[in-house]
Amino acid sequence: MGAAVEVRSLTKVYGQGVGRQGIRALDGVSFQVERGQLFGLLGPNGAGKTTAVKILLGLTHPTSGKARLLGLPVSDPESRRRVGYLPEGHRFPGYLTARQTLSIFGRMSGVAGDRLRTRIPELLSRVKLEEWADVRVKKFSKGMTQRLGLAAALVHDPEVLLLDEPTDGVDPVGRREIRDLLRAEATRGRAILLNSHLLSEVERTCDRVAVLRRGLVAAMGTVEELTRRGRETGDSPRGYRLVAAPLTEELIADFRERGAHPERVNGHVRVLARDAQHLNALVDSARSRGALLTELTPEKTTLEDVFVELVRAPEDPS
Amino acid sequence: MRVLAANVEEVFREAAARWTLVAYFSLSSLFVLLFAVAVNLDVVNGALAGAKIFGKSVEMGGRSVDLDRLVLGFESGFAGFLYVVGTFLAIFATAHLVPRLQEKGTVDLYLSRPVGRIRLLLSRYVAGLLLAGSNVVYLLGAMWLLVVWKTRLVHPRFFLAAGIILFAIAALLAFAFLVGTLTSSTAVSIMATFALFFLSAILVNHDRIAAALTHEWAAQLVQLLYHLLPKTAELGAAVVALVMGDQGPARMQKALSLSPFLSTGLFGAACLALACLRFRRKDF
Repeated sequence: MGAAVEVRSLTKVYGQGVGRQGIRALDGVSFQVERGQLFGLLGPNGAGKTTAVKILLGLTHPTSGKARLLGLPVSDPESRRRVGYLPEGHRFPGYLTARQTLSIFGRMSGVAGDRLRTRIPELLSRVKLEEWADVRVKKFSKGMTQRLGLAAALVHDPEVLLLDEPTDGVDPVGRREIRDLLRAEATRGRAILLNSHLLSEVERTCDRVAVLRRGLVAAMGTVEELTRRGRETGDSPRGYRLVAAPLTEELIADFRERGAHPERVNGHVRVLARDAQHLNALVDSARSRGALLTELTPEKTTLEDVFVELVRAPEDPS
Repeated sequence: MRVLAANVEEVFREAAARWTLVAYFSLSSLFVLLFAVAVNLDVVNGALAGAKIFGKSVEMGGRSVDLDRLVLGFESGFAGFLYVVGTFLAIFATAHLVPRLQEKGTVDLYLSRPVGRIRLLLSRYVAGLLLAGSNVVYLLGAMWLLVVWKTRLVHPRFFLAAGIILFAIAALLAFAFLVGTLTSSTAVSIMATFALFFLSAILVNHDRIAAALTHEWAAQLVQLLYHLLPKTAELGAAVVALVMGDQGPARMQKALSLSPFLSTGLFGAACLALACLRFRRKDF
């Protein structure tokens, strides 16, 4: 069985014409999402994330390259039969109630009326909107609209979910509920492509991540692989959180002399160590000055650190 | 059918929520009620012996009037009036269908469903026509029933005039859809469609206009436009002629010739085809 989402050498140039070069939104992007996988697509604004998703849904036509959903080319409307989509900044008709919205979009996805009668209450309950079923969407808060969008994406029981900023405007409890729901859907074998700016969300939710930068894939792998690579390849010193008492000015000055760039932060000190020898020298110095060490924790490289590093890195001239 | 039914339901729900449907049917009902209350006819042996409008007697000069001719005159006049008003109301009520569909945040919701773009656009076109058609049929049907009730005269042709009115609306709505796909603007769609309606009506005098022009190319342009654009004036005349039947003047019967229907139908089909082509290729 092939990948649920397959993107190969995808290129999209906007506004290309005679005498106009156009804007290259995607430049040979390739990735794939397997069934049961939660895949995060990251990148700064204008990196090409939304363009990639729009091509997958047939909303935008690629300039070159191939995109397939469940083995079908995206130019075939049938490829969207088993795909659920939650667009960023979606605008459901405000005059429809939640129930009517799911009914109309369910039928447009080919779900029979009988099936919808049981499916709609079930979905509204899953996204905690059962009490709002017959209220017009224009009365909904941003978070409620987002949850309705998720229900609309799931109404036809799709095998692939493409979600653009699904937790946008949702409160922390709602975000956790959405995260749990997505995890549950992935466990049931759904392939989920998550497009988000919220790196901590992606870090907690996704199995695999691709970082887009100016239309190119700058990095791809599991969150662990990316953060590990950030630690291994980085030439810069690593940060440590050091808690000791007393943290005298003399000790801080000594750290500074030893090139540890100390910073006092909320009762502890953050130091930078080039390697294990350098770190041990700093600890010895603290002890020799009578400081009692109670905690020494290496700072974890987060996805955000990797992301910022990738986005800020100078472009490869090749 | 599910896609079509979903689109029709959404268009009608939107019309109801935006008060379009209520305004549309309220105005029509008011007109029908006004007629029912205001006009009282005194019919004796199939002829009009007396009439009261808003309670005031109409001077008959001691003569009896041929009721059939009188009713036909009213019906044809009313059908002609409805041709213009009904068409304008229909464009007002439906011109937003494509621009609203193409709005950012909305179009994604529709196009991400397993529905081809052309099918989606045509479903909305049919939904718009059904909305306009329901009002035209309601207004003409109610008025027809009222006339039957008040005069015991049955003129089915009056009711059939709805077919020509809907035909004209279909052609103009296709044009509004084309403008909507190109500009994504409801205001531009409405203005352009009304401009087309009037321009086509003026071009009924194409020969006289062309003869008055000093440049040959301008005269040819007028003739070309006349042949390309829908025949709104001729269709209006056809509505009146259909209702009058053989009771109307002989020159009126010529208005029921096939050519204005053919060229208007071709114009509408071409606009709809171009709208589909544009919508299919558009990047959102």
